[in-house]
Amino acid sequence: MKNALYVLVQLFVILLLAPLVNGIIKKIKAFSQKRRGAPVLQMYFDLWKLFRKQAVVSETSSWIFKAAPYIVFSTAIIAALLVPVSTLLTPNAFFGDVILLVSLFALGRFFMTLAALDTGGTFGGMGSSREVMISSLIEPSLLVSVFTIGLISKSTTILAMMNTTKNITFPLAQPAFIMVFLALFTIIIAETSRIPVDDPETHLELTMVHEAMILEYSGRHLALIELGAVVKQLVFITLLVNIFIPHDQLIALAGVSGLLLSLLIYVVKVILIAVLMAIAEISTVKLRLFSVPNLAALSFILAFLGFLQYFVLWR
Amino acid sequence: MDNFLDALSVLILFSSFVLVANKRAKSYIKTFRMQSALIALATGIMGIESFFADGHIDILIVCVLIIALKVIYIPNLLNKTLANVEYKVEKDFFYNIPLLIFICCSITAFCYTCILTIHGINTDVLNMQVVNSIALILIGLFFMISRKKIIGQMVGFLVIENGLFVAAIFSTHGMPFIVDLGIFIDLITAIMIMGIMAFKINEKFDSIDINKLKNLRG
Amino acid sequence: MEFLLPAIPAMTALLFILLRGKRLLHTISIISSILLAVVGCFITKDIISLGIIESSVLGGLFYIDSLSIITLDVVIVIALITSIYTIGYLEEELKHGKITLERLKVYYILMYTFIFTIVLALTAKNMGIMWIAIEATTLASAFLVGFYNDKHSIEAAWKYVIICSIGIAIALLGIILMHLSSAGVIESSHLLEWKTLYNNAQALNSPTLRLAFIFILIGFGTKAGLAPLHTWLPDAHSQAPSPISALLSGVLLNTAIYGIIRAVAIVNKNLGSNTFTGGLLIGFGLLSILTAALFILTQKDYKRMLAYSSIEHMGIITLAIGFFTPLSVFGGLLHMINHSFTKSMLFLSSGNILQKYNTKEISKIKGLLKVLPVTGVVFLLGLFAIAGTPPFSVFASEYSIIASIFEKSSFILGAVFILLLAIVFAGIALTMFRIFYGSNASKDVTPGETNKAGVAAILVLLVIIMVSGLYLPTQIKDLIENAQKIIIGG
Repeated sequence: MKNALYVLVQLFVILLLAPLVNGIIKKIKAFSQKRRGAPVLQMYFDLWKLFRKQAVVSETSSWIFKAAPYIVFSTAIIAALLVPVSTLLTPNAFFGDVILLVSLFALGRFFMTLAALDTGGTFGGMGSSREVMISSLIEPSLLVSVFTIGLISKSTTILAMMNTTKNITFPLAQPAFIMVFLALFTIIIAETSRIPVDDPETHLELTMVHEAMILEYSGRHLALIELGAVVKQLVFITLLVNIFIPHDQLIALAGVSGLLLSLLIYVVKVILIAVLMAIAEISTVKLRLFSVPNLAALSFILAFLGFLQYFVLWR
Repeated sequence: MDNFLDALSVLILFSSFVLVANKRAKSYIKTFRMQSALIALATGIMGIESFFADGHIDILIVCVLIIALKVIYIPNLLNKTLANVEYKVEKDFFYNIPLLIFICCSITAFCYTCILTIHGINTDVLNMQVVNSIALILIGLFFMISRKKIIGQMVGFLVIENGLFVAAIFSTHGMPFIVDLGIFIDLITAIMIMGIMAFKINEKFDSIDINKLKNLRG
Repeated sequence: MEFLLPAIPAMTALLFILLRGKRLLHTISIISSILLAVVGCFITKDIISLGIIESSVLGGLFYIDSLSIITLDVVIVIALITSIYTIGYLEEELKHGKITLERLKVYYILMYTFIFTIVLALTAKNMGIMWIAIEATTLASAFLVGFYNDKHSIEAAWKYVIICSIGIAIALLGIILMHLSSAGVIESSHLLEWKTLYNNAQALNSPTLRLAFIFILIGFGTKAGLAPLHTWLPDAHSQAPSPISALLSGVLLNTAIYGIIRAVAIVNKNLGSNTFTGGLLIGFGLLSILTAALFILTQKDYKRMLAYSSIEHMGIITLAIGFFTPLSVFGGLLHMINHSFTKSMLFLSSGNILQKYNTKEISKIKGLLKVLPVTGVVFLLGLFAIAGTPPFSVFASEYSIIASIFEKSSFILGAVFILLLAIVFAGIALTMFRIFYGSNASKDVTPGETNKAGVAAILVLLVIIMVSGLYLPTQIKDLIENAQKIIIGG
């Protein structure tokens, strides 16, 4: 019973909130460019439109092209189940941990790159190779960050991590945590293809990474891929927000009202991080592709310094 | 509060990595400014603490001095020197940046293992923050040797002095006040002298590439 | 009385900024160095009777004991002789149009600022103030090294500033660590004072102190010219004007060794034995002598050869201090004094040679004894002296050091030391043959000494080193013994 409730609430919140985050970021970027920009709820309308359109599939592609959107979407949804939006509502047993999370996203990315190669167009191949390069550079940083938090909380289950930081007053003031927070922030920017790693609104071949891979998709396939991408973004943000800025220890109510309050505060936190991401996007430029290793190295250093601080101060 | 200072000290160490990752002279002067601002913040916090505890205002005066000198005056001086001396934008470092960052990372790890594995070390005083500062000093030294331009050497020297100051302030709340004052005077004089020499080298050698200074050998 | 010591050079430098006219500048320079010498004499007499002079000005100044006064006296004497020599040297440079009157003024201002910072370093009570003064010596002498503003001088000056500033920064880290090791042991009004640190040495935290010593050794060792941190020294000492080279070699290197000695005293008292510091110091010392020996064999520039010889002698002093027996420390301190006098004499005479022949290359110096009779003889005798020939003073101090090594039965160390000294002797002898046994001079060098007063000053130095090789007045001997007792701990 509790498990079913957990799955329902989790999916409902995440699927509903994910396109909103994108909308907020786009709106802030528009404001900074002195435009009015699209409405914040635009992505909901876009997805609704795309689901009703016909999907055009190239004749020279194989089953991978048709299967990839579903795989991307389903891995994103399963990953969403692994990161609780509120620690007040948890299932009886968790079957997966942070390593499963990383692998699920890797699976989705793998099929995405294959599908982009599948159509035989040059844009797809180019996007795939760039995407694989960027993700392989970001991977060490991601692993060191999550392992550091895992070592601090003595478990790799995300719920255990969230519960551990609930007991620390103001976790962001600890040196290990602030370093891992900054590292994860940089990783989110890289994984969700935002400036400075990749421009999500570009249509120039020189600058496309993620866009190049989804260039051939249309209709419900495109809708699934876009939804999968925003769900992935929200899952990472939830990971960041619930571990480093825990709020559940402040809630004194119990039962449904407590849960609702917790979800409300969660939504506020997510919007805050979205604003932060938007500010990061508007204050830098997109890096040249061969300068991305520099950013990846800095992100790795952040994670490594966090690990060193844990290693010395915590044992 | 102590944890807050710990976090600040590791952020200062991270800013030195950002410094190594910068490719152009103007951007590392900016990063140096940011690093000095972080140090001024840490000194300000300690100054306010000590003011409420004992009523000493030395550390606050030192904080004001840091802001006046290292955040405002010295970066402006460096920018002016750069404007007069550099007219070609060319590659400034010998190896590529991820390799440099990796070397700095191993320097930091080396520092940590060396200092924290000495038997009987007094970890109240020689704590994490001092080790971060020593790593900062070594990274400043590495920055100096990995850059080809004279401005790089000047900024590296300033980072070393930053590291020394952070080591002093975090462990024992500063050296005696007169010593701090003297160190600042020395620092300003040294930077002015290096600036003047950069002009002269540019005049005589027509570039600020250090590899050209190879006439005296043996 | 003791505040006059730094005050005189400081005020002289200020006066130089305000006045003009070269006769006035020369006169003020002579008067102030004579005044400094007189004050030095009085303070030496005070130290011989009282033992220590201590006062607290600005929280960090004026602690003079036997060790300080020995180093300080050498500074004062060499400053006096150099200022006498400088007058003739600068006049000659003005005559040949190499410098202008403005540059002469700048020279004097910088020279007296330099002397001021050295005196400050040697009379500081607080190790932080000593550090500040030593850093200030680098900055004051930077433009002196690059005085002639040509390509080589600017390169030498840049290397000097950068390498010495980094070295000194590392020494500051060592001083900070020393400060940390005394946390909780010393009350805050006496922080970082040498005397208090020395008295409470056993209560300091040993591992931190050992770490501090390593940084201080490397930092001040850079300033002292120990290999492998010596790379700035040949360039700086050969490109600077000759009287400044004399000051740099004879006085500044001593000040850096003084800093190391102060640290060694504290660390050895804390650790109880000298195995830790001794190993490091002997290693650096031997490496310096070896480097100097190898480079002296292949030198083509006589000022650079003299600079490498400075590196060698600093290596000898470090080795003597590292060995840490009463006789070896006595020998080391005596060697500091003897080397200063001999080396300044050599650099000043080389200044005469440079002005006459206008070249720094050994192969171009021909017929020296006919062109410059007095300077030539002094230079020849000086080269013998610096290579360690009796009856000069350098031989006496080297002999004491060798005797102390063999007294402790370290035969291998002694043998290696003697071998390296022999290699250096061979290198210097080679140079001597090249200078003094060549063909006759060409027609465009007019024979005759140009700097009469300077030559007189050099002769004074020659007499000092000849006499002190055979006889050391008891008071000076007592002073050096007191200094050695301070270092070893009685």
